[in-house]
Amino acid sequence: MAEEEKQFEEFEQIDFLKDRHVRFFHRTLQVLPERYASLETTRLSILFFALSGLDVLDALDVVDSNIMIEWIYSLQVLPTEDKSNLSCCGFRGSSHIGVPYSTKGPGVVHPYDSGHIAMTYTGLCSLLILGDDLSRVNKQGCLAGVRALQLEDGSFYAVPEGSENDIRFIYCAACICYMLDDWSGMDIQKAIEYIRGSLSYDNAFGQGAGRESHGGWTFCAIASLCLMGRLEEALSQRELDRIRRWCIMRQQSGFHGRPNKPVDTCYSFWVGATLELLDVFRYTNFEKNRNFILSTQDRLVGGFAKWPDSHPDPLHAYLGLCGLSLIGEPSLRKVHPALNITQRAFQHLQQLQQTWRESTNSCGGQH
Amino acid sequence: IVCGVLNIDMAVCFCFRDRKEWADLEPVPQDDGPNPVVKIAYSEKFSDVYDYFRALLKKDERSERAFALTAEAIELNAANYTVWHYRRVLLQALSKDLREEMRYITNIIEEQPKNYQVWHHRRMVVEWLGDPSEELEFIAQILSQDAKNYHAWQHRQWVIQEYKLWDKELAFVESLLEDDVRNNSAWNQRHFVISHTTGFSEPAVVERETQYCLNQIRKAPHNESVWNYLKGMLQDRGLSSQPGLLEKVLELKETHCSPYLLAFLFDCYEDALENGVPKDSLDQGCQETLEKALEICKLLAQEKDTIRKEYWQFLGRSLQDRYGGEVSPGDATPTAPASEPQQIS
Repeated sequence: MAEEEKQFEEFEQIDFLKDRHVRFFHRTLQVLPERYASLETTRLSILFFALSGLDVLDALDVVDSNIMIEWIYSLQVLPTEDKSNLSCCGFRGSSHIGVPYSTKGPGVVHPYDSGHIAMTYTGLCSLLILGDDLSRVNKQGCLAGVRALQLEDGSFYAVPEGSENDIRFIYCAACICYMLDDWSGMDIQKAIEYIRGSLSYDNAFGQGAGRESHGGWTFCAIASLCLMGRLEEALSQRELDRIRRWCIMRQQSGFHGRPNKPVDTCYSFWVGATLELLDVFRYTNFEKNRNFILSTQDRLVGGFAKWPDSHPDPLHAYLGLCGLSLIGEPSLRKVHPALNITQRAFQHLQQLQQTWRESTNSCGGQH
Repeated sequence: IVCGVLNIDMAVCFCFRDRKEWADLEPVPQDDGPNPVVKIAYSEKFSDVYDYFRALLKKDERSERAFALTAEAIELNAANYTVWHYRRVLLQALSKDLREEMRYITNIIEEQPKNYQVWHHRRMVVEWLGDPSEELEFIAQILSQDAKNYHAWQHRQWVIQEYKLWDKELAFVESLLEDDVRNNSAWNQRHFVISHTTGFSEPAVVERETQYCLNQIRKAPHNESVWNYLKGMLQDRGLSSQPGLLEKVLELKETHCSPYLLAFLFDCYEDALENGVPKDSLDQGCQETLEKALEICKLLAQEKDTIRKEYWQFLGRSLQDRYGGEVSPGDATPTAPASEPQQIS
């Protein structure tokens, strides 16, 4: 092969294939084959990955926002006539429970219908990304639903029927309260205690007390504290410096999630965003990080996988893009490192919240 | 009542909708409205099972046929938490044999050890039985396939703490560390066991653990986990005040060096500066310690841990700012302005 052609091929190897990723997310929005069955109850979060991914790519114009918005609202668990199900309110991950399609209240009486905290979180994000004004969100219901999920130790269940409880759902709760601008959805003090209790001997966070520290749970801890506005109240400067050290040691080329584990694209966001929130992301090696993320790019179908030569999936496709956005990849929008939506979507949220506050002030009472 | 073998090659579907015993029930399809999004294309067989699941759910039926159907629904999608919850409701309503349920969940976890729902289900059954006697062996079995499975370790910690099964755990941890001294989960478990049994306050324990760490470092120097464990154990007692430790680490630096050893040394020096007796930054001892710390930063940035070059330089600058005083020490890294923002491609 001629020298020029060889060099061009090398350049192509690390080329960021923007159009492929747009098409990857576009396909995700349509129909997935049966082998994706395990994602049924979390379909709303898959929608979030695709929408936010397209937002980061500045390619939301391929999406029919109205259709998406209606579908999201059809997943809202609304209060019944007698409001006896308030502790079940929020958003479902999908229609799997079998409640008939409806975007309006009152809620349907059903013995097993309830929201899922991560779906309420990703549902609200998705609405924001699509430019919706959240006026059809039953805020009272969502906040009651979140409140009902918090345990004595400060952690949260995912669903009112019970589930595992850990720091992931504290993060979801914090995002929900932050977006709705209403912290009555959680006991912040208890949540902080649980987070502190999850700080491990090696200066990062596990899923709960005593558990192995991990990049994903460390993101949940730090991002939650940032959203609550309590980072420096909850953690001393010394602790923060030690956490910075643990996080920055996760870089191997890309990042891994735990010492002596292989690198994985998604940690370029989980750990990268944590480092950004702690103001030391600029001290990481951008080039090696970028090269690793791009090595997991699927050049044929688009998207990113956790490892090179593996199958791409919506989560890694989205977080791979976010990882690239953090290091300033030119064609990508900036991401809010705590809320995990674009700065554009975040600005829309800020405008909405401003409107809500003004409306409350002018009414002189309840919104 | 089992709906045939789950075999995608079968042409005929022994569907619930074709069975007389289910004729009383109206199947409930999924309803995504006029414009479904992120739709999963289910086969006829899959839809059939779940349409009947939804029908049972709607009337909250408590029956053997419902219980049997949950197994089919789980086989098709073990991540559906609603199915698992409904199954638990039925387990209790029908007073099902929980030992048999333990056998059932054991098999499922072995097939799908990274699924949250299956581990939660197992925990519920163990709690109802009040019998953890199979757990440690079962989890060990799962860990033998993947020694770092986070779910398995979490379940193990819950069992041990809930039922006070601390007795043999340190020995278990040591056997895992013999298999792989770089197993970070095992190191974490070591800390978990000791902090809940003897604790780390006793000097004898600290001494024993320090020796253990130094031995593991000699065997496999390039191992972040052991250094994190050592530092974690000592960091709040003052790294620089552990008698003889600094000397041992300086010895190891010559023959068993690693970025983790050097970072540990840096932390020792920083601790000495922070908590050392001579507080005056112009003090000779302080200046020497600062110089040594800055040399370590330079070594890491330029040679031993170059991927974190910017970070080590940043740490050096910060230390210099805090303890440098008026006089700039010897040939240590001069105070540099904050580095230029990195450009990519």
